[in-house]
Amino acid sequence: MAKVLVIGAGFAGHTAALYLGNKIGRQHEVTVISNRDVFGYVPSWVWVGVGHMKPEKTIFKLKPVYDRMHVKFVHASAKEIHPDDGDQYVLGDEVGTGKEVRLDYDYLVIAPGPLLNFAGTPGLGPENGFTHSICSLPHAIKTRDAYLALCDRMKKGEKVKIVIGTGHPAATCQGAAFEYIVNVHKDLVKKGLRDKADILWLSNEPALGDFGVNGVQIKRNGVVQKSDEFIKSVFNDHGIRYQVQTGVTKVEEGRIHWQNYEGEEGTTDFDFSMLIPQFKGQPFKYIGKDGSDVSSKLINPMGFVLVDGKYGLPYPELSQTPEAWPAQYQNPNYQNVFAAGIAFAPPGPISKPFTNKNNLAIAPAPPRTGMVSGVIGRVVAMNIADLIQTGKMTHSERMTEMVAACIASMGDSLWDGNAVTIVMRPVVPDRKKYQNEFGRDLFISHLEMGVSGAWMKFMLHYTFIWKFKGLLGWKLIPE
Amino acid sequence: MQNEQEFSKAEKFWMNFKLYQLWRFIVLNVKIYTIAVQSKWH
Repeated sequence: MAKVLVIGAGFAGHTAALYLGNKIGRQHEVTVISNRDVFGYVPSWVWVGVGHMKPEKTIFKLKPVYDRMHVKFVHASAKEIHPDDGDQYVLGDEVGTGKEVRLDYDYLVIAPGPLLNFAGTPGLGPENGFTHSICSLPHAIKTRDAYLALCDRMKKGEKVKIVIGTGHPAATCQGAAFEYIVNVHKDLVKKGLRDKADILWLSNEPALGDFGVNGVQIKRNGVVQKSDEFIKSVFNDHGIRYQVQTGVTKVEEGRIHWQNYEGEEGTTDFDFSMLIPQFKGQPFKYIGKDGSDVSSKLINPMGFVLVDGKYGLPYPELSQTPEAWPAQYQNPNYQNVFAAGIAFAPPGPISKPFTNKNNLAIAPAPPRTGMVSGVIGRVVAMNIADLIQTGKMTHSERMTEMVAACIASMGDSLWDGNAVTIVMRPVVPDRKKYQNEFGRDLFISHLEMGVSGAWMKFMLHYTFIWKFKGLLGWKLIPE
Repeated sequence: MQNEQEFSKAEKFWMNFKLYQLWRFIVLNVKIYTIAVQSKWH
């Protein structure tokens, strides 16, 4: 009987656990270790952050799902990974009791989600800083409370400054911040307070609508349209000011310090700010049989797990080398160790990086959340099942082949809500396969705004929670 | 787009015209589901 251990129960880890439980859970031992005993549907935290959705509607308990899916659940924080042959195990601390737990494995999936590196920007974050975040449910709740308190001030006639975007020169997940800024706009319009707020988009993207994926390009009626023009129209239409090519370097109470591409240093004042932090890998210890540190065989300096990608290529070469992106997410040194979701180390950025004259690199990191995380979780799970059953992996999917759909809502009303629907194939441009300057399938890629997107977003919330609960027909719902 | 910076009145009309949006909802669902399922069995 093989033992498969999954660290983390987010989009990637939970998807992997569902497929593993379904494929091999009856014959083999599949275990999930997670420091949270609930699954959180992250895309809806945007609505929590403006007070439009109750937090409990975005979560559900994991254990009952795993009991049905033949998966063992351990509610503990993983802390040490011992990957050497013959004695492979993970150590963790049980949540609540602090008791140390040891979990042996034959195959390991590392999918714990990101470490939110607020410390990477002095003054950033809701715990030790002055800004807010929607990257975790407690953060989204705190953001909602601060936002509603701000609305109360506005109701009394006060004019306020709102800044939303990225809080580090190398932050990712611009899509989540975009969704939050347009939801804030829409909510203020509904409350009759929009004229009391000056709203600014502050981001490290090279251009508006870049989203860390080099933008989205589509062909409509024979004409190529780009996301920078589209998002510019959205912001102009909503009266949202924007400042891109900007890396936030420090935050003080009510003041953001930044540098831009030109190397200019400046400040922006705010009354309320939601800035996405830099993501890092979780700080696990990787320990060899003899007690030595084997981190360099498993992770890069950012803590992300090295997999079957081609690392170290300069950006111009990487952007022309689709096969540099990993296909099976398997560590080359420990072939029974896989990484999924944010945890795997991408070979480099998707968007063009930039270093200003002060040597500050302003470069969005590649987003690997949502659909991308789910797809990788599935690929990893199916390959582990393959290895156990036949000894040979049969699944692969590079981000240069992967399709991703993203719905950025603008309000949650089914009548007058709105959303931008974005579809891109592939997520990472493949200039060899798609012979255009963007490296994308311009027929499949899609960018559209309308109330239909709001209906889709609403539908996806319930459909995906159904899927993640492993209910009837869950496998028919794509990641 | 009317120009590179604003949606035209016509575009805004279609964005909110419910019957057209119902059509787009169906089209988008079919499109996304089809390509996602294709990817799943890749």
